[in-house]
Amino acid sequence: MGLKRLWFALMLCCFAVIVHAQPGEQEANLKAAFIYNFTKYIDWNQHDNANTFIIGVIGASPVIASLKEIAETNTVESKKIEIRVFDNPDQIEFCNILFIPETTPYPLSSILEKTNKGMLTISEEPEFARKGTAFNFVIKNGKLKFEANLKALGQADVKAGSQLLKLAIIVN
Amino acid sequence: MQVFTSVLVLSIVFTVFVVTDIKGYKQRKIDSITSLAQLVGTNNISTLQFQDTDAATEILDELHNMSPEIVYASILDKNGNIFATYSRFNDSLHPRPVFGEKRFEFSGEHLFINNPIISNNEVIGKVLLEVELSELKQIRQSKYELSAILLLVALAFSFLIAFGIQSYISKRLLRLVNTMKRVIKTGELDKLELDNGKDEISTLNMVFNKLMLQIKESQERKDEFIGIASHELKTPLTTVKGYIDLLTLMEHAQPQKLYVQKAQDNLKKLENLIKDLLDVSKIQSGQLELNITEFDIDGLLDETIAALQMVTPSHDIIRKGIRGNHLIRADRQRLEQVLINLLSNAVKYSPGEKEVLVYCELTEKELIINIRDFGNGVPAEEQTNIFERFYRAKELSVYVSGFGLGLYICRDIINRHNGRIGVESGGKGSVFYFSLPLNAGLVNKK
Repeated sequence: MGLKRLWFALMLCCFAVIVHAQPGEQEANLKAAFIYNFTKYIDWNQHDNANTFIIGVIGASPVIASLKEIAETNTVESKKIEIRVFDNPDQIEFCNILFIPETTPYPLSSILEKTNKGMLTISEEPEFARKGTAFNFVIKNGKLKFEANLKALGQADVKAGSQLLKLAIIVN
Repeated sequence: MQVFTSVLVLSIVFTVFVVTDIKGYKQRKIDSITSLAQLVGTNNISTLQFQDTDAATEILDELHNMSPEIVYASILDKNGNIFATYSRFNDSLHPRPVFGEKRFEFSGEHLFINNPIISNNEVIGKVLLEVELSELKQIRQSKYELSAILLLVALAFSFLIAFGIQSYISKRLLRLVNTMKRVIKTGELDKLELDNGKDEISTLNMVFNKLMLQIKESQERKDEFIGIASHELKTPLTTVKGYIDLLTLMEHAQPQKLYVQKAQDNLKKLENLIKDLLDVSKIQSGQLELNITEFDIDGLLDETIAALQMVTPSHDIIRKGIRGNHLIRADRQRLEQVLINLLSNAVKYSPGEKEVLVYCELTEKELIINIRDFGNGVPAEEQTNIFERFYRAKELSVYVSGFGLGLYICRDIINRHNGRIGVESGGKGSVFYFSLPLNAGLVNKK
């Protein structure tokens, strides 16, 4: 009797996890797609003269898997996409896009001070755009949207196309 | 025939014109709306990429002011699901055609455009635009109206021109025909068609003139011959007559006297025949002249009748109708010739009968002399022919001598007096008549 109960609870948990995982996976795919699509509207201002296009991620995130999937079949300006994962801010090297997952334990400021020109910062935590990331994913009315911080963009010395900004929620 | 052809040709031309025009309009419309669809599509690449349906709807809503003819617009994602729509009149229930690869379709008064949205060589969605073509209906109508009007105008012109050309040609041809009729009627070959043009009808006129000249020349030669011949014949005849007259005085015994008498009679006949020929020749060459004097018609009638009666014992020539008291101005000798001719004809052509009647009538305008015989009459179809030269009656139950010139000469003489001459014949006998007009001061009461 006890075993049955346990088994049932386990199933329930799994189910819950699975059910919970599905939207999460969808969202991760969507965000990865968004990140990829951002590149079509960004002018990197000569900062992108490496052989590959580097997307860096600080910490773990389901978005990484989605990004890797996209990197298999797509290119940015004919350049192969490379995904690099940094464990902590000290490991951060130059990358064209730095994705800051919501699960990252590190304070934003510590991450941001490691960024240089040509590095587009994208986050997914409320208020992070105001705090200094260039783009920030938010959910509005059940839909995935993004905020844009023009000042941060300026500091990163990259330009975002008007078509993109039109769709963004401009913060600062 | 011409008109029909030109109407047909014009109809075809107009139809082609109108059809081409409408086709052109349609194509222009397709092109312009497709451009618009392109634009809308391009503007929506980002909204599709970032799945921003609100932004997409906003873009479509701009169509309301930008393009009033667009009644419906929608953006489909790459799976064919509706991403955003715009409807001018809020009637999304309106049936719409289903598209495959077709880029446009005309249905009812609407044009549907289906344009793919392409980014990086990949189709990420579609733009659907529906345009209302009320303009087209108007255009069609006005074009058809215009064509109809132009067609009618062209038709009218065509008629006018055809009519004009035809009457121009017809007029000239008819003129020629009239001239020909006149020549037939009067025998005058002098009034010829003047025509200096260069076309076929002018050629016709010129050849006709030439033909007439030829005929004229031939007739002149013939008349010349008659004149010469009769003149030549007269000379020896006069000689013979002279000698026969002498013999008449000399011979008193029979049978010589009889022989001479017979010779004299026949010489007289010969003389008359030659005289007639000479007269005809003169008439033809226009040399016959009238010697007008004033004389008493009664006297002439009585004399002539008496003279003829003497040599035609078989018939009684009786004078009837009013008598006398009329002076007329005419050529006495020629009138006598006419009377003798008509009277001797009357006798000649009624061989079994006994009488020939002579009437004299007077109307306000004319003096008419009728000579009636009771012979076989003149058939209707010959009544005009008998007055022609060398014409002799077809049915000769009795031998009639002569060249058939008598009536021709009579007609000429009477015509020169401005009178009329003719015949009435109703089966039993005929009435030959001639009239002399009074207004020329020809007739006065005594």
